Amino acid sequence: MAESVDIMLITSCNLGRVDPGIYDLIAFGQRLQGLGAGTMGIWILGEDVDAAAQDMAERVGIRVTAVQGAGLAHYLNEAFCGVISREMEAVNPTFVCAAHTSRGWEWAPALAARMGAGCLCAVDGMVESQGRLCFQRDVYGGKVKGLYTSDAATTVITVQPGVFKFEPPAVSPPPAAVTRKQATLQTGRTRYGGVKQAAGDTSHITSAPIIVAVGNGIGDQKNMALIHRLARLFPRAEVAGSRIICDRGWLGYNRQVGVTGATVSPALYLACGISGASQHVTGMREAKFVIAINTDPRAPMFNEADICIVEDIIHFIPLIEDACAPLVNSTDQAFSDQRTN
Amino acid sequence: MKILVCVKQVPHVEGIAVKQDIDGMATLEALGAFRMNHFDEFAVEQAIHLKESMDEVHVDVITVGPEQAAHVLKRAIGMGGDEGIHLLTSTDADPAPELVAAWIAEFARSRGYDLILCGSMSEDSMCGQVGPMAAALLDLPYATQVIGMQLTRDPTGVSIEREIEGGARELVFISLPALLALQPGINMPRYPSLSNLLRANRQALEIIPTHTLEPSRAQVHCLGFQLPAHERASQVITGSAVEKAAQMAEILKAKALI
Repeated sequence: MAESVDIMLITSCNLGRVDPGIYDLIAFGQRLQGLGAGTMGIWILGEDVDAAAQDMAERVGIRVTAVQGAGLAHYLNEAFCGVISREMEAVNPTFVCAAHTSRGWEWAPALAARMGAGCLCAVDGMVESQGRLCFQRDVYGGKVKGLYTSDAATTVITVQPGVFKFEPPAVSPPPAAVTRKQATLQTGRTRYGGVKQAAGDTSHITSAPIIVAVGNGIGDQKNMALIHRLARLFPRAEVAGSRIICDRGWLGYNRQVGVTGATVSPALYLACGISGASQHVTGMREAKFVIAINTDPRAPMFNEADICIVEDIIHFIPLIEDACAPLVNSTDQAFSDQRTN
Repeated sequence: MKILVCVKQVPHVEGIAVKQDIDGMATLEALGAFRMNHFDEFAVEQAIHLKESMDEVHVDVITVGPEQAAHVLKRAIGMGGDEGIHLLTSTDADPAPELVAAWIAEFARSRGYDLILCGSMSEDSMCGQVGPMAAALLDLPYATQVIGMQLTRDPTGVSIEREIEGGARELVFISLPALLALQPGINMPRYPSLSNLLRANRQALEIIPTHTLEPSRAQVHCLGFQLPAHERASQVITGSAVEKAAQMAEILKAKALI
């Protein structure tokens, strides 16, 4: 029964659909294997996982354990920790991996503490250094990466989404086996109460071809006018912001870009005074072209930018306006004025 | 009701100077002042808010750190907290989250807290692990990324909203005692009041050296820091501010973006 699995990948299944984040985890697991780790197995938790588990095992050729039960229809950390800890005891893996989502980040550290395992969250890189397997993760707002090792027998890792890319195999792998298990749950102390959808409609920023995004570097609410003026230089641009700007009420939450906001992929992302913490970058990584303006030459936003400008946006935005004025297409300008006025 | 709030002292992240070493590693130097972790301010505020809105609420504030970390306890008392507990470490090094969680759990175990509050992560190490780990060690129900909370009237439970991807919120009912890790935006942290700060300066802290607590071992180790790789071209525009603006305008025009 306790077949040897060195890397446990944990995911969930909702309404018959496996969380697509599983592919990032497989890519992460393959990297671990490239650095010496052993067999990989996928655990899918949910209410009715059967068909999805079968499909996954056939598609990726990795052994799948389907853990199902009515109590797993919705996520509760109590249920997830309980189920995964029992599976961990049976398997005794070196690594337990989950996506670094609001849920994975909630249950993984508790699972590690309960099982006496090591824990690393938001891992986005892996290197071998002096014969040791090291994991990288953002620290200090993404200004630098911390390099970590674990000497625990088992390490629970949450993997930053969108970093490790899964390459579908050129030839279909032979289908792997599926093991089915019924979950026994103890969830006396927490009760799921539903999901409340995001308050505002974010379609204006998710569909905008140009986004002028503002961060903490704007300093004061009165400077927000500069950002709106900058956006007016462009045809069909929308203003968006980082978390802190929305928390302060300077922009509505429906204009927040990042993990807890919208994910955007405009032709131009103009990041004004945004430091570029991973929570923000996750929401704009797919932008086609990125210009970042920031006073701090070490701002992590610059690593995500095509063009980097070390300036204070408060002084620099009027200069952009002056420089662009003679170049702006007059019809577009008329369109833009009409729309924003 | 007894509340414990966990706070951490962190360096001013914007004031961190990064120096590249020859071996590919980077050295960090904290140039600015140390302060209370931004995320923890929301936890202190929430506790003080509960104290103001209900009878018989007692708010303890705890931190783990070297001597100078006492400043954040004073600030929390300045905001309206009752007592400060300093789990005093002997080095300036940031202890691994499993150690911090074990120490806080050991302290809290016999003190009968109804609610333990903390921030969702720290600005420096960004682990977000101490809360869930301490909850597991204390065998308490918990939630992280809490953006809304409402205690039942008795109070034997708390209804919380936690932030999930895309701005949606998950609703969970949790029975007390419990631990909650709060998200920024759940409230507006107040500034310390002068009268409370004066009280904080007079008031003794409960100081417990961490070496007197159960020994526990760190399982993960930070070996050092590296500069992040560039994900894109990261072409730096040089010249005077006016020249930079002109170059930027040319780039925008060339790409037909204006």
